[in-house]
Amino acid sequence: MIERATIYQRRMVIGAVIAAAAFALVGARLIDVTLFKPSTAGGDQIGRPAMARADMVDRNGELLARDLPVADLYARPHTLDDKVEAARELARTTGADFSRLLEGFNNTRHPYVLVARQLTPDAQDRVMHLGLPGLEFEPSAKRYYPDGRATAQLLGVTDPDGKGVSGLEQGLDARLREAATVAPVQLSIDMRVQYILASEAEASRQMFHAKKAGGIVMDVRTGEVLAMVSLPDFDPNFRQFTGDDSDHNIMAADRYELGSVFKVLSFALAMEDHTTRPDEVFSIGNGYRIGKFTIHEAEHMPATLTARDVLAHSSNIGTAQIAMRSGPVRQAAFLASLGLLGSLHCELPEFARPLYPTHWGTIETATIGFGHGIAVEPLAYVSAAATVVNGGRRIIPTFLKTDVDRRGAQVIKPETSAEMRELLRYVVTNGTGRKADISGYDVGGKTGSAEKPGPHGGYQSHVLVTSFLAAFPIEAPRYIVFVLLDEPHGTKETGGLALAGLTTAPLAGRVISRIAPLLGVPQKPVTVARENT
Amino acid sequence: MVRILNTLCVALVGLSILALYHVSEQTRVAKFELAGINRQINREHATISVLQTEWERVAGPARIQELAANRLGLTGTPAVQMSSFETLPRRGDDSAPLNNSPIAQANVQAPANLVPAARRGL
Repeated sequence: MIERATIYQRRMVIGAVIAAAAFALVGARLIDVTLFKPSTAGGDQIGRPAMARADMVDRNGELLARDLPVADLYARPHTLDDKVEAARELARTTGADFSRLLEGFNNTRHPYVLVARQLTPDAQDRVMHLGLPGLEFEPSAKRYYPDGRATAQLLGVTDPDGKGVSGLEQGLDARLREAATVAPVQLSIDMRVQYILASEAEASRQMFHAKKAGGIVMDVRTGEVLAMVSLPDFDPNFRQFTGDDSDHNIMAADRYELGSVFKVLSFALAMEDHTTRPDEVFSIGNGYRIGKFTIHEAEHMPATLTARDVLAHSSNIGTAQIAMRSGPVRQAAFLASLGLLGSLHCELPEFARPLYPTHWGTIETATIGFGHGIAVEPLAYVSAAATVVNGGRRIIPTFLKTDVDRRGAQVIKPETSAEMRELLRYVVTNGTGRKADISGYDVGGKTGSAEKPGPHGGYQSHVLVTSFLAAFPIEAPRYIVFVLLDEPHGTKETGGLALAGLTTAPLAGRVISRIAPLLGVPQKPVTVARENT
Repeated sequence: MVRILNTLCVALVGLSILALYHVSEQTRVAKFELAGINRQINREHATISVLQTEWERVAGPARIQELAANRLGLTGTPAVQMSSFETLPRRGDDSAPLNNSPIAQANVQAPANLVPAARRGL
């Protein structure tokens, strides 16, 4: 017979069960915490310091822009014993305005006063050594650009709140904020090429006392912009302009009547439509009348020129005749297909809408043929020229690294593109672009010397914008180099002349001779042989 | 028997309380140390970040070219003086380059007056 448990025994069993359950609970929690849920306690996480924006690096991984840790300094005025002395000390240490600080400290409505923003660790140490009560540091970040001026116009800057306000900082703002905790944003820029272009453009700007200078290096297949320079520039790390500093990117935000480099497009259209042949002879003469207007040459020309030599010697009269064969409608449609009659949209926020005539008649067709009467941004022109030499397919510039062939719709036939490459090479070997002919590489190109419009209409005959478009290696172009000088002046070496063949052609040649080996462009043995003989 | 069991249970509870307190205290200390180490790691990361940026500044192409020109006397090398393995001549009698091109590299007429921009006062 089973004896019933006493009340004490039942209480003990109940107690034991409760104790066992409690131990089981604690054990389960221990297992859960130690094995399945590693504690995230501990406050700070390991990793990079908190950043507002991601790094920007060039195509080879070299750092272009980074947020550095700084701090904003706030003060609680009611904790300060001697407000005047505190304001004086803080103004001396941080560079803040003494009167602003004193006014803030004496204003009882605000419990906090912003003393200074973006203090570096050194400055923070100096403030700490003051031993003032009621100071608080708010962690912040300051954008720093290691290459300073060389990339200033292209990268742009951020405002004190870390928002992009110009250049790629603005154009890629969303991406830079999204990517702040992961990989840096890799640009198409090659810092080596950027530096070479910047230093050579600055050297030419100084040599020819030009107001402005600029340049672009672009991959004609991927559309990647390897370098873009606009001078004068500024120091993005200090943001205080000195001398003729400027934050205006002339290659993207300005539009120019580019002059004779536009003849490349007129010839591409003529070759595409077979309205002329390279060996067709044109009568040049001393002037070409269209209605009440007369077109003149910039330099003396022979009485007749073949079409090839019209381009090589940059004859306005010959090009006008060729352009007029295409007619205004076809010319406008062709330029539109190259993207020159609309705004260019890429990652760069700065752009300039093109200016072209509302009435596009015969005279306009003739002048646009040699690059007057239409003003476009240089980057848009480079994009159009790349289309002409890359096999005839439309290419949109990009500032992000990519490995894919981004060529789009076929604008001109591949045969026309090949024919244009031959003509551009001829310009460099036998025409106005001789000074861009460099050892080891076959360069094709075209000069452009455009008179600038005057303030009261008309053109100023001795105030020029000179440019040079170069493609290399010309038999199968991979890169385009476009350089521009705004209002260059002749020197003793150039005989007082400031034409593109004497100013921008040698500049392009120097740039190519320095960047081609870096970019791994193979040398042309025949060219080397010619140099050796 | 029951009394011994009770005593053991009470002792076990007491020991458990002590052990848990010990673990809890160790955890608190470890948490504090972890926070300190994390802060230190973040400071180190920040320092590394600053140093990397500083390195990019001092190792930038402008500075390297200036140093190379001023301290080492190096000037711009003409592109034609650069070569590739494909164009190097073979050893021995057969002096044709590896790709059978009739050209031997090394240009005696390479312009020698190339001066980098750094030398021109930039």
